[in-house]
Amino acid sequence: MNSLLLLFVALGVPTLGVLVYALVTGSPGLRRHVLTRVALTIPMILILATVVFVVLRVLPGDPVTSSLGPRGNPEVREAMRDQLGLDLPIWAQYGRYLGSLFTFDLGNALTSGRRPVAVELGERFPATIELIVPAAIVAVVGGILAGTLAGSRRKSATDYGLRMFSVAIYAMPVFWLGLILQLIFAVQLGWFPVAGRIDPIVSGSLERVTNLLVVDSLITGNWAALGSALRHLVLPAATLGLILLGVFLRLTRVNVIETLQEDYVAAARARGIKEGVIVYRHALRNAMIPVITFIGLQVAILLAGAVLTETVFSWPGVGRYLVERIGLRDYTAVQGVVAVFAIFVSMISLLVDVVYSIVDPRVRY
Amino acid sequence: MKRNRLLAVLAVSALVLAACTSDSDTTTTTASDSTTTVGETTTTEGGSSGEKVVIIGTTDSIANLDPADAYAVHDWEIIRNTGMALTKFVPGGIEVQPGIAESWEPNEDGTVYTFTLRDDVKFGDGTDLTAELYVRHLNRMLNLSGTGSGGVAGALGTPYIACVTPGAEEGQCDEWGVKALDERTVEITLTGAYAYFPQLVATAAYVPSHPSFPEDSLVEIPTEFPYYGVGPWILESYTPGEQSVFVQNPHFFGDKPKVDRIIVRYYSEASQLVAALAGGDIDIAWRSVTEPQLLETLDGTDGVVSAVVPGGGIRYFIMNHNLEPTDDLLVRQAIAASIDRDEIVDRAFGGNAEPLYSMVPPGFLGANEAFDDKYQAPNLDMARDLLEEAGYSEDNPLQLQIDYPPNRYGGVVQDAIAIVKEQLEATGMIEVETVATEWATYLGEQINGSYAMGFLGWFFDFPDSSNYVEPWLYSGGLGSGVTTQDNEPTPNFTTPEMIELNQQAATELDLDARAALYEQIQELWAEDVVTIPLWFEPERIFYRDYITGDSSYDNEETLNIGATTEFNWVVLDTNK
Repeated sequence: MNSLLLLFVALGVPTLGVLVYALVTGSPGLRRHVLTRVALTIPMILILATVVFVVLRVLPGDPVTSSLGPRGNPEVREAMRDQLGLDLPIWAQYGRYLGSLFTFDLGNALTSGRRPVAVELGERFPATIELIVPAAIVAVVGGILAGTLAGSRRKSATDYGLRMFSVAIYAMPVFWLGLILQLIFAVQLGWFPVAGRIDPIVSGSLERVTNLLVVDSLITGNWAALGSALRHLVLPAATLGLILLGVFLRLTRVNVIETLQEDYVAAARARGIKEGVIVYRHALRNAMIPVITFIGLQVAILLAGAVLTETVFSWPGVGRYLVERIGLRDYTAVQGVVAVFAIFVSMISLLVDVVYSIVDPRVRY
Repeated sequence: MKRNRLLAVLAVSALVLAACTSDSDTTTTTASDSTTTVGETTTTEGGSSGEKVVIIGTTDSIANLDPADAYAVHDWEIIRNTGMALTKFVPGGIEVQPGIAESWEPNEDGTVYTFTLRDDVKFGDGTDLTAELYVRHLNRMLNLSGTGSGGVAGALGTPYIACVTPGAEEGQCDEWGVKALDERTVEITLTGAYAYFPQLVATAAYVPSHPSFPEDSLVEIPTEFPYYGVGPWILESYTPGEQSVFVQNPHFFGDKPKVDRIIVRYYSEASQLVAALAGGDIDIAWRSVTEPQLLETLDGTDGVVSAVVPGGGIRYFIMNHNLEPTDDLLVRQAIAASIDRDEIVDRAFGGNAEPLYSMVPPGFLGANEAFDDKYQAPNLDMARDLLEEAGYSEDNPLQLQIDYPPNRYGGVVQDAIAIVKEQLEATGMIEVETVATEWATYLGEQINGSYAMGFLGWFFDFPDSSNYVEPWLYSGGLGSGVTTQDNEPTPNFTTPEMIELNQQAATELDLDARAALYEQIQELWAEDVVTIPLWFEPERIFYRDYITGDSSYDNEETLNIGATTEFNWVVLDTNK
């Protein structure tokens, strides 16, 4: 099964399961909310697809010129335009495009190999997933721990230091951070590789089942590949994760401070419960709920950050593919990537929203 | 309770997912079964003990591997290492020698070539190459012209190979002038006599495609690997955006490579390429490192050898003969007289480029210094006189816009353009605005003649002077506008006689006579200022000091990459 399809099955099945659960067992308000969200997703994707379609065609340049460059005589250029359907009226091109979306056919790329976009994305999406998942873990775990520390030591030097760090790291351009980490840890210290997903020689020994190299290494018991994949993952995941860590740090800090001011916390202190237990067992659990919701919203930011991170680290994911194909004016490829991103982000945010409302009985729609 | 139910839903989902995972394919573009397991020992394909492996890093990428259509530098590099054309260039040099053809003979007027193929040419899977299979490839290339993303046939095929039986519709051809006379003999009928045809058939377009490639469609990126050609290497696997892996072709008729495996690793940026070489992740960095700061970094790195390849690309301004103000000959000449190439090379490149005074670069037939002979630039007095004659003055300066792509040819171009602006404004009679436009947008506008003065680079298809002249003389001339799309000279083209001279040079077999014709063309070129050649940017190769080339060929220090910039991996050896 194509990796792209597998990804959507992996996401779609739990999402569907949760939606059905919510519809069956949820309150009328929740049911209305779920149905409205699902219904709005389709026009949202259509609007986004249309905007991308129009913007690409308004931009000067075209895939024929990008493919042929200065070479290629006028006859060849015309033949290529005809073959790609670029000489059709714009409304006809739009109709073709919408038709392909409704049949889940992302079409063929217009440049560089002209392969099915779904196949090309299937090859690259696992690399992007393999980057954003650990980045999300870095951001969430690091942000929550640091935010809890800052919130529990309000107005201390630790609190001020962490707050400054959070602002600085959030303001930093992701590509700049990546270059700095690359320079220090890869080039100067030599602790990690400069770029890529896995050592070139070890790569040949790894049987790719899911194209998630860490997972494939574990499945096949290839420890050399596992070590190499993890080493290659450290710098790009740290780059992407650190940028978002600041956001989670501040959000957690605010929620921890609020929670620590609740009456039950004062009561717990009065009963002599240790401060650490109060903070990490009682306050943090309640402070986490809005943070978890926020995770769903960050998927889009992670994907956007992945575009730059993948370029800095030559990571062969969808982000780097998108940058290359925009430069080639490969309409089909760019449209396909945007459509897939939109569906992916919609599914994640819907799943998180619904799970949140199920988990927290206080949430009402 | 609710949470337990929710967890149950997620657990069921996980089971469904696991069922899907167990049926999933590997990505279709990587090699099947790259690991053999013997007992509990896993033998890796790459890097097993004793195996010599060389890792080449590049910022290029694979776009198209069908020899019938591919037209990009890296694609050609792979096609010429996994395959071989009728003729080939000597490693390190530009002389043509037999490839898969052991000999060839033109007829009396040079319009028909008869090639005799070797009798021991086989594809990597053992399939014999016959004349019939080779003709099949040529027909594929010609018939599928315009259907792929590369478009090589339109430049190196259909203009040269005659159509003996035109088709029912215009532009169609039922039968091309390619014929298998017997098991090993191929006859090619041309549209005219071309002195450089042996060089032309050394290009990747004349590398035979595998018989499994369908006749009626191109295979730009194979879905099945290994990818077989008739050359010394087999493309064993390709992981898009990551790497391609090559192993020896056991059926290759020529010298066997000295290393067992080549891995080409793909990088997004030159800075990563440099860091990877410095850090030991790769053995060779090839294409393209041009920024002076990066060159300095590698020049100063222990264990890294840096060498300048004799070949490279030219950079030039295109002067639009149909748009103001460059439609005025006096303006074009004034601009040509103002440009100080030495200053550009020193300030922008730190000396890592060569000033260029004719479009035909040094070492090629007819190369001269026509622009220097005519203008002795920088010659501000001449420039001012010309501008005055054109009606400009300090109070009424020439308003000139220079358009260029800022990143296509390396970030250093921005610096060079800024220096040119200074030089032109030093006349006191020109005000320059420079406009940077992203490549995909820029190129279309340039070819369509939207820019009065644009900037481009050029690298030859085959190492012949004609390839440094013709692209700007015909079909609009890449925005020069000296001819129409129907190749009629336009009114502001002051030296149209060079078209006739070029046609003579293309068919002239006497080298001295040919050289004289190209010299004349260059002089007329400088007179009319069709384009303004600026600098010649040699390619550079960087490699670890345990990598060597072949001392029996020229240019061993550049790993035997000569003026053709063709990288033959067969010469490589490693002592790592």
